[in-house]
Amino acid sequence: MATAAASGIHLHDLPEPILTHIFSLVCDVRSRNAMSLACRRWRTLERATRTSLVLRGHVRSPFLLPTCFPAVAHLDLSLLSPWGHHPFLHHHQQPPPPPPLYYHHNLAEQTALVAARLAQTFPRVSSLAVYARDPSVVAALAPLWPRLGAVRLVRWHQRPPALPLGSDLAPLLAACPALATLDLSQFYCWTEDVPHALQDHPVAAASLTRLDLLCPASTEGFCSSKLADIVAACPNLIHLLVPCVFNPRCIEFVGDDALLMLAAGCPRLSLLHLVDPSTLSPARSDSEAKEDAAVTGPGLEELFAKLPQLEDLALDLCHNVRDAGPSLEMLSYKCPKIKSLKLGHFHGVCKGAWLHLDGVSVCGRLESLCIKNSADLIDSSLVTIARGCRRLSRLEIHGCHKVTEAGMKKLSSILRSTLVDVAISGCQLLDAARSLRALEPIRDRIERLHIDCIWVLPELDQPPQTPEKTADDSDVDQVDEEMSEESRNKKSRYRDGNDGSNESSSFWLRTWASLRCLSLWVPAGEVLTPLGDAGLESCPQLEAISIKVEGDCRTCPRPRQRVFGLSFLARYPGLVKMKLDCGEAIGYALTAPTGHMDLSLWERFYLHGISDLRLYELDYWPPQDKEVNQRSLSLPATGLIQECLSLRKLFIHGTTHEHFMRFFLMMPVLRDVQLREDYYPAPENDMSTEMRVDSCSRFEEALNTRLLIPD
Amino acid sequence: MGSNSIVNAAAAATATATATATATAAAGSGRSSGKLLELLNVRVVGSGERVVVLSHGFGTDQSAWNRVLPYFQRDYRVVLYDLVCAGSVNPDHFDFRRYTTLDAYVDDLLDILDALLIDRCFFVGHSVSAMIGIIAAIRRPELFLKLILVGASPRFLNDGDYHGGFEREEFEKLFAAMEANYEAWVQGFAPLAVGADVPAAVREFSRTLFNMRPDISLFVSRTVVNSDLRGVLGFVRTPCVVVQTAKDVSVPASVAAYLKAHLGGRTTVEFLPIEGHLPHLSSPAVLVQVLRRALASHR
Repeated sequence: MATAAASGIHLHDLPEPILTHIFSLVCDVRSRNAMSLACRRWRTLERATRTSLVLRGHVRSPFLLPTCFPAVAHLDLSLLSPWGHHPFLHHHQQPPPPPPLYYHHNLAEQTALVAARLAQTFPRVSSLAVYARDPSVVAALAPLWPRLGAVRLVRWHQRPPALPLGSDLAPLLAACPALATLDLSQFYCWTEDVPHALQDHPVAAASLTRLDLLCPASTEGFCSSKLADIVAACPNLIHLLVPCVFNPRCIEFVGDDALLMLAAGCPRLSLLHLVDPSTLSPARSDSEAKEDAAVTGPGLEELFAKLPQLEDLALDLCHNVRDAGPSLEMLSYKCPKIKSLKLGHFHGVCKGAWLHLDGVSVCGRLESLCIKNSADLIDSSLVTIARGCRRLSRLEIHGCHKVTEAGMKKLSSILRSTLVDVAISGCQLLDAARSLRALEPIRDRIERLHIDCIWVLPELDQPPQTPEKTADDSDVDQVDEEMSEESRNKKSRYRDGNDGSNESSSFWLRTWASLRCLSLWVPAGEVLTPLGDAGLESCPQLEAISIKVEGDCRTCPRPRQRVFGLSFLARYPGLVKMKLDCGEAIGYALTAPTGHMDLSLWERFYLHGISDLRLYELDYWPPQDKEVNQRSLSLPATGLIQECLSLRKLFIHGTTHEHFMRFFLMMPVLRDVQLREDYYPAPENDMSTEMRVDSCSRFEEALNTRLLIPD
Repeated sequence: MGSNSIVNAAAAATATATATATATAAAGSGRSSGKLLELLNVRVVGSGERVVVLSHGFGTDQSAWNRVLPYFQRDYRVVLYDLVCAGSVNPDHFDFRRYTTLDAYVDDLLDILDALLIDRCFFVGHSVSAMIGIIAAIRRPELFLKLILVGASPRFLNDGDYHGGFEREEFEKLFAAMEANYEAWVQGFAPLAVGADVPAAVREFSRTLFNMRPDISLFVSRTVVNSDLRGVLGFVRTPCVVVQTAKDVSVPASVAAYLKAHLGGRTTVEFLPIEGHLPHLSSPAVLVQVLRRALASHR
């Protein structure tokens, strides 16, 4: 270093093109902001190389658009404020705008002006994301950039009922004939809209290579004729994600023939996700399927034979596919590039009966495997898969009720060198403690983890007392005996109710050295504090946690503690990001029968202790009252969130009152707040319970006029 | 009582579906009616000859009627508005000197009806709006064809033989919680007390109160608790329908009987076999049947 300074070599001595290239490789937004503050030269370089921009805030007047980013190629306009309302939207159902007190006057005249200004400010946009509540938005924006290659449309509001079919997408397809990627995974429209629009614009349809139609909002899938129309219109597809009607009782269900037609129409597919629409809903679905699908093993074999380029396949059904083993072996032969596989309700995936590899374990190049609701998946299947798929880095099992701790443990010890991402959910024999014990072999390597917070399985309450009860191999035996000692000690500690960690020395702490992202599923009424005793005592690298609470708060048993236990998470020193999703917790909002807790009490239960965490970013979904379709932040929730003083970004996926929002102004470093009702149906402006457009504007004005916040 | 406001509704107010009227007449209250219509989010939906006004209770806003509204849109012109203390109204417009008694709310209601050029209407009021409707019907008897009072009570506090449902101590606990709320709010901190930290008797009643801004809610709950309409019930000439749920913690069943006995006009009582103080939220289907029957005739 000293010699470098002495000889006077400096970063600025590098030639300009090299410096520009270095700058263009930096992606993180805050790093780029910091770089632009170093000196003028760096600022110019940074502004000239920024390629991705998310516009937040309210585009009130054209002159407020930032003009210093000429190189922006990816522009995200879907988060403009107020969320879901566009600054130049002419919403037909609303009354004419009120007198010019706020920022919505003269919308019609502003449309053309703002659009022109956008085109001028960002001339090189090739990828666009926009909240398209109305076709007028796309009609205004798409012609500005005729060479658009990728578009993501967002709409969580209801589709205007009087619109002709396909008119949401028509302006886009008409104006951008070179469109390659169309992402409608957050865009609610009818299933008739898509094939209609694609057929009307054959040029754009033929240039499409990526089409994503997996929207959780729509509950119906595409039937075989609509699928055929899409495939006929877009022969060059490489990525296709579609919800399909797999139910054989429906007219035009998707079965073997439809799949073959699909493969014949789009032979170049490398990513194919065909799912049953009910798997997209945020609530967990029943893992029992009564009927068989029209998709069969031999049909799948023919499908795989026609798609040699396949790398990523997902077939998530709600109907049984029997004897899938041979077709999965065929998958490995016919689709040698297969890397990622997701199967729902497939039976016979891997029998694991003998020492040879069968079923999915033949696919030796698999890196990511997800098996859902497979009733006959047993421990020996898992072991066989581990022996066969040696490159597996991601494994997810859901609803496989015969898998036990022993099987998972063997799998993780065999795949020790590659497995870094594991998700275990909905399996009856794998509660939280067992899942964590099963992952002992990779405890120091695992980076992403999901478990269900089921603390004690009622019928398997005793730790294994005798070695005979455990699996066949002797080494597993011994390990299990040690574990049973420990687990008995742990059980007594847990019963004593003390908090363990400060008494035991760090030698005994179970450390998850590489764990960065943790995801938890919690049934309604359950608490979080046993997480340490279950096995997650120390996670020094943990930075993001995602907690999903699901269930009916009206009928669940009373929680055994007064608080959920978020302050327990303070033991993870690196935790900065949290997603707390109580959106699937149902309760009473404004009116409750006597003796019942209403949602304000439940929110207080869940959010208590959040001030103990040094959070930087929080995404919160308030619990909902399904009867009135209300997801609203209550007063105690506001108070508790307000106490979390380190919070910089706060996103509430629901509504709330304006005076509750004002409490957030007391948080010193809060920079970015938005109410995003990204669930279907998002409340319409005039029917929403609390926040109206004017309230949002007033709040943001107050937020932005506070004292400067450190960058 | 408050002053009777005289409104010159000389504006070209259009009362078609989804239009906000822009009347320009000056009201005695010092605000133009046009501004009032905008401030209180007045909405007129539906089509029909008869006009129905839906007025919500404290702590909610007009969206509380969302589940009931579709049943009446086809046959009636429905007027919805927010009380000035509702969360959706800009709180800067709450004038603490003006809204000291219920009369100011009645002024607002009558201003709205005059600005929309409505001369006869049905009025459906919940909880405190029922009280407002009663006073309005006394002031302007020709304006209201019928009053439908949901969860109504002329006085909430017990008084000698009169059983209003609440004792003064229970309300004092409620006020203590609300004052703690208010103190914290003044400091800028959201309090953690909720509507369920108060005695069971006032719980259902107060749950929605905690959704309002603490200073306003403290103010209006004192207004509500201190009102006593028993003396003026006899002046009501309009026919009334009193809708009462089987188990409303805020309004005991005897209150419905009291209202029937003392209201001056022809009164019927409808009992709903459900529980709760907000039937339009918890059991809209049951309430809709009763409302349909009540609106079918104005006798």
